[in-house]
Amino acid sequence: MSGAKAKDPRFPDFSFTVLEGARATRVPGGRTIEEIEPEYKVRGRTTFSALFRYDPFDFWVGPFYVGFWGFVSVLGIIFGSAFYLYYTVFLGPFSYPQNFFAGRIDPPPAEVGLALVGPGQPGFAWQMTVFFATIAFFGWMMRQVDISMKLDMGYHIAVAYGVVFSSWLTLQIIRPIALGQWHEGFVLGVMPHLDWVSNFGYRYNNFFYNPFHAIGITGLFGSTWLLACHGSLILSAAQYRGPEGGDIENVFFRDIQYYSIGESGIHRLGFIFACGGVLSANLCILLSGWPVQDWVSFWNFWNTLPWWSGV
Amino acid sequence: MATMNPTPGDLELGPRDRGRVGRAQELPILENFGLDSQLGPYYIGFWNSAAFVTGGLFTFIWLAVMASQVGWNPLAFAKYFFVLQIDPPAAAYGLSFPPLDQGGWWLISTFFLTVSIFCWYMHLYTRAKALGIKPYLAYGFTGAIILYLVIYIIRPMWMANWSEAPSHGLKALLDWTNNVSVRYGNFYYNPFHMLSIFFLLGSTVLLAMHAGTIWALEKYAAHEEWNELQAPGTGTERAQLFWRWCMGFNANAYSIHLWAFWFAWLCGVTGAIGVFLSMPDFVNNWFQWGVEAGINYPELPPVQP
Repeated sequence: MSGAKAKDPRFPDFSFTVLEGARATRVPGGRTIEEIEPEYKVRGRTTFSALFRYDPFDFWVGPFYVGFWGFVSVLGIIFGSAFYLYYTVFLGPFSYPQNFFAGRIDPPPAEVGLALVGPGQPGFAWQMTVFFATIAFFGWMMRQVDISMKLDMGYHIAVAYGVVFSSWLTLQIIRPIALGQWHEGFVLGVMPHLDWVSNFGYRYNNFFYNPFHAIGITGLFGSTWLLACHGSLILSAAQYRGPEGGDIENVFFRDIQYYSIGESGIHRLGFIFACGGVLSANLCILLSGWPVQDWVSFWNFWNTLPWWSGV
Repeated sequence: MATMNPTPGDLELGPRDRGRVGRAQELPILENFGLDSQLGPYYIGFWNSAAFVTGGLFTFIWLAVMASQVGWNPLAFAKYFFVLQIDPPAAAYGLSFPPLDQGGWWLISTFFLTVSIFCWYMHLYTRAKALGIKPYLAYGFTGAIILYLVIYIIRPMWMANWSEAPSHGLKALLDWTNNVSVRYGNFYYNPFHMLSIFFLLGSTVLLAMHAGTIWALEKYAAHEEWNELQAPGTGTERAQLFWRWCMGFNANAYSIHLWAFWFAWLCGVTGAIGVFLSMPDFVNNWFQWGVEAGINYPELPPVQP
């Protein structure tokens, strides 16, 4: 089992050690949430407590933790949802259920460039919705940092959320700024955003030839595959009571494919796969229309490489 | 969960099931990255061997036919590796067996690939049975198998035409995916494609959530999941409280893997349904289908501001 065997002293150690006594906290059958929660509900230990020795929102509402960033995030959610629903569903051209699918908020027209548009002008609803959604997403990420601090965990969940937040930033903020117009952002709406993605793929000739798209898709399919392998493996071994104990998963994978990456390893690999796929997807969007206009002729470099000019 | 004490081991492995090859090798640098350092021993059984032989035959035919297409020139083979392909029989042949260079090699290689996949399923299934665990890995594999069978075997046979199947080749597979979407009126309007994408992205989210949670809690030994299933400790408690405090509800160490299994499995199965329905007999144009179903409004005036 990983974490127990000898490491190679010639190389840096990116591993971990299990805290003294952590395994001794195990209770057969587990404890109920009512037994657990009071032990962990302590005040302080948030970003605001660390910076200012005080967090005005350091409390829970039902199961939810609030915190300063929860307050920020809720503001973004309320205002962002209000703008979105008002312009797509309430002001949409059809009945409310139809507007749920058909309603759309278009980005500002191209001539606006990177200017901010005022109320009543085309693109105002888009800019406001994107602005408040960005606040909501950032606040949610920082709230995950707060909860991780409170529970004395690593910050991996907030980092993973930050990766998917970076997709939103790339699509709606970074790429439009790189191309000099908010018009490049994607249309908000259920079916309209699908149309936007479809059109975007063929606008640069064919996205299937975009190598970073291919790497991103590989990351997503790889993540689904790893999730299936890991989920099914744990389910399959849950009722195992044989002599191998918790090592049965490793034995099974060594038997079927020579190597088992181990209990901590599969989670590290999965984290890297999921985040890496999304980061590559960011790149495939950012490069489209900025340095690369055509992903088919992009591959001309391959055919003109000097070492096979003769064939 | 039942008990944290394993019952006395009476795992019965027949002599053939114990037939592992190779001694366990240790590669300590892997431990520096939190990965398991033990390689092997490896189990060689009938189904594993059969999967490798048939899979090897598929790979050999695939590579050899592609190499013959460039006159066995290794440099040309490397240059054109991405675009070389073995095409299935032309539509005129229907389901009959054509000459080898006009689709015969495709049929033979696809046969071996299919046999290899079934042998691998049996390898996963029989090995789990032999070790005394549930064969859920094999069951999860059925999600991928169904998608493969629909694309390469079932849908072409239903349409009585092997040419509906993808060619064997890297660019060819991308082209087939692109073309089947365009031919049937854009897969973005295909509800089963929507579901498949939902489960694909959902699986990536679930993996990032679960893997991030466990990686963040390694120092509490939350990664020792078999032990935590029997007797949850402080690592699992923190994992549960994180998601309860973050989004209002949480899975537990067992049920997160149920979520994982079904999200990943349904990605393949819903995708298979979406591909199978895309034929003239059923849905010829998903764009039109979306209009009739009331989710697609091509004449929609833009809402401003």
